[in-house]
Amino acid sequence: MLRDITLGQYYPANSVIHKLDPRVKLAGTMVFIVSLFAFRSIEAYLVATLFLASVIRISKVPLKFMVKGLKSVVMLLAITVVFNMFLIPGTVLVRFWIFKITVEGVRTAAAMAIRLIYLIIGSSVMTLTTTPNNLTDGLEKALSPLRKIKVPVHEIAMIMSIALRFIPILLEETDKIMKAQTARGADFESGGLIQKAKSMVPLLVPLFISAFRRANDLAMAMEARGYHGGDGRTKMKPLVYKSYDKKAYLLLLAYLAVMFAASRVTVIEGLLHL
Amino acid sequence: MNIIKASKLAFEYLKFDEEGKIESRQRAVDDVDLDVQAGDFVAILGHNGSGKSTLAKHINAILTPTEGTLYVDGKDTRDESKLWEIRQTAGMVFQNPDNQIIGTIVDEDVGFGPENMGVPQEEIWQRVEQSLKSVGMWEYRSHSPNKLSGGQKQRVAIAGVVAMRPKCIVLDEPTAMLDPNGRKEVIRTVQELNRKEHVTVILITHYMEEVIDADKVIVMDQGRVVMQGTPREVFSHVEELKSYRLDVPQATLVAHELQKKGIGLPDGILSNEELVRELGKVRGIGVPGRTATGAVAGATPADMGAPECTESEAVAGATPTDVGAPERTVSEAVAGTMSTDAGVSEHTAGESAPPLLRLDHLNYIYSAGTAFERQALTGVNIDIYPGQFIGIIGHTGSGKSTLIQHLNGLVQATSGAVYYNGRNIYDEGYDLKTLRSKVGLVFQYPEHQLFEVDVFTDVCFGPKNLGLPPEEVEARAREALRLVGMKEKYFKKSPFELSGGQKRRVAIAGILAMKPDVLVLDEPTAGLDPKGRDDILDQVAKLHAEQKITVILVSHSMEDIARYVERIIVMNHSKVLYDAPPREVFRHYRKLEAVGLAAPQVTYLMHELAGKGWKVSPDATTVEEAAREIASAL
Repeated sequence: MLRDITLGQYYPANSVIHKLDPRVKLAGTMVFIVSLFAFRSIEAYLVATLFLASVIRISKVPLKFMVKGLKSVVMLLAITVVFNMFLIPGTVLVRFWIFKITVEGVRTAAAMAIRLIYLIIGSSVMTLTTTPNNLTDGLEKALSPLRKIKVPVHEIAMIMSIALRFIPILLEETDKIMKAQTARGADFESGGLIQKAKSMVPLLVPLFISAFRRANDLAMAMEARGYHGGDGRTKMKPLVYKSYDKKAYLLLLAYLAVMFAASRVTVIEGLLHL
Repeated sequence: MNIIKASKLAFEYLKFDEEGKIESRQRAVDDVDLDVQAGDFVAILGHNGSGKSTLAKHINAILTPTEGTLYVDGKDTRDESKLWEIRQTAGMVFQNPDNQIIGTIVDEDVGFGPENMGVPQEEIWQRVEQSLKSVGMWEYRSHSPNKLSGGQKQRVAIAGVVAMRPKCIVLDEPTAMLDPNGRKEVIRTVQELNRKEHVTVILITHYMEEVIDADKVIVMDQGRVVMQGTPREVFSHVEELKSYRLDVPQATLVAHELQKKGIGLPDGILSNEELVRELGKVRGIGVPGRTATGAVAGATPADMGAPECTESEAVAGATPTDVGAPERTVSEAVAGTMSTDAGVSEHTAGESAPPLLRLDHLNYIYSAGTAFERQALTGVNIDIYPGQFIGIIGHTGSGKSTLIQHLNGLVQATSGAVYYNGRNIYDEGYDLKTLRSKVGLVFQYPEHQLFEVDVFTDVCFGPKNLGLPPEEVEARAREALRLVGMKEKYFKKSPFELSGGQKRRVAIAGILAMKPDVLVLDEPTAGLDPKGRDDILDQVAKLHAEQKITVILVSHSMEDIARYVERIIVMNHSKVLYDAPPREVFRHYRKLEAVGLAAPQVTYLMHELAGKGWKVSPDATTVEEAAREIASAL
């Protein structure tokens, strides 16, 4: 049952964004996040909004999936906004009792909120349109130059993809072990922190042993199928740039240029006398 | 042409202590000579620990010989430069389906081998397609392996090996973790590969039915080859095989029993069809009643008004050849009374008492309200009476495992109630912990729950959780270990030093130490060799007889179920299909087949004979019954 959980919340759809090389998406996400922090002006944020909205549109992933990731930071967001609004000194906008909201406060709160929200949504775009294995392939290819300085890039990528493959299996095993120990009267719920930690032993020990056993079996199976490290391996699904990948890179450059220009413009700010 | 040649092969497992000195040596393979011709289908049989897996791992050079030599297609396995060639020539499929699949998508996993070999990308895809088609899994090429059944996963693993274009495939107990359907799938696939693609196959197993069609059978015991020959030759030696902790197909056993009774049957009968044929010849020659009387003596029909039953199950020790079969209870003799409705017949054993456990209109839905919603139990009504020995059978996914998890409140029903001793366990404030000590549930592969520093402490875990005083806890642990036959010398050992069968017994002791009134066992024989299976089930039967525990056994083996239980509940797609004594349930063997089950092999034999006009009851469900029936009909 637990095997139905797909990790990384990949949402399958037939869009250009889905088809893009994972390296493009990785680069794009980084560019977007950096741009949010490097370029500050209302115009810049408008450009960023436009960019994000179009990407979401093209990806064909429903908006509600995109904003799901925000649920986890709702608290952080609220605290950031409130603290910034009320605690930054400057020209007072509104005042009641001992609380005062300043112009600078509003501006800072808005900027931080936007950055945080867009950061989350921007990363979601990537995880929603790229399978975990695609991502590890992308990372492996992107980091491969590091092999020259003896960084075990292939091994790291292999570790990551095997881990991804076994997470649902180990989750299911955890469930089984919990049930078996509960049938022996184990109690994972009650008691204080220390009690709860102790009660994890009958769960963790068998789980670890099982994980090691699987690793052993898998290593033997890999060797039996001729695995001898990254050298001399060919790839079934090699990452090769297509024309739309190259266009995407160009668009990213264009986006950066526009953002830079927009950050230099402060028309709107002036109009609002901020 | 020899594709595998081993001479005086020996292998020792060495255990080193902390200083690197050799602490112990274990000679797992000793003085083995092996000769496999290209295109052969060779089976290696042996009990767990006989050395067969160790031998197998030499064939693709995972292990190299301590003594002697092994040549694979002319290459010496000790030659490190030939290592990858050897592994490409001899591929290997392992026992655990999950632990040999590396890719997250089927086609990626099948391509893993060719990728390692440096095969060019285009060719990899060709090979992937060919291999998947040859095992019948091409439609699943874009699926995640996690969603496949055990049999399907093993077929993908086989495809992964086939994609490397080996000359020989070694399969190390590939079906041990599968259900009967999965086993059939895999063996059929392997046989086709052998016949059509002429791939040499070396199958390591302890399921006798799988090797009937092999070219050669090799039996191993304690690291040595003790028997070699065609299946017919090897299976003729029933007693010898039993001494090696192995088993033979039921037809062979029946023939053996009949031979012992003096009936002239040839050796090495392997299948029902052969037996029927040979019996036909005997009937033509045989003098009626010559040997029959001997077997029929003492078999007084005690069944009350049941049609066609000629032997009584209540006769204890009727045939000296009952290998460990426990005495039948009264209810067995009453078996065959008219069924009432929908296959649910009346039980009489212990039913004067009120039911110990009652399942009332139980419904259970997985992931209710989501896209993954699935009905696991529908309208289940079952009454379980004290002292019964019940078997639960059903296809994979029929709801058996979900059902038993309701018995001790591990899972709460979506609707309906569970009554233990008259009280609804879903009532507010009901003590589920105590319930779990009364209804002991042993999961599949229970040895996976062991975690303590030594055996004794692990068995104490259960009673300790019940809050019992230390002396009581220790007394119970001692008693429980005695009940499963674990000697005192193992008490201080780490559970992880034990063999699989021993670990399992310790795990069962862990539940017995809670002194349950009801013992539920989910496939307790999974992964064990034939003697191991018999041992565990005999132990359970003994517990049932001595301690009067109610036992509920979930199993895929119709033969095991038929031998031990007095009542069978058949689950089919979340509903109870039949709830009746074995004899009755197996009468519906056609319907059972339609829902992915079967009847014991002997039942088919009896039906065939009855169909040919033999005066035998087609209801025999065990070897002993069948032998008696046939003998008395001659």
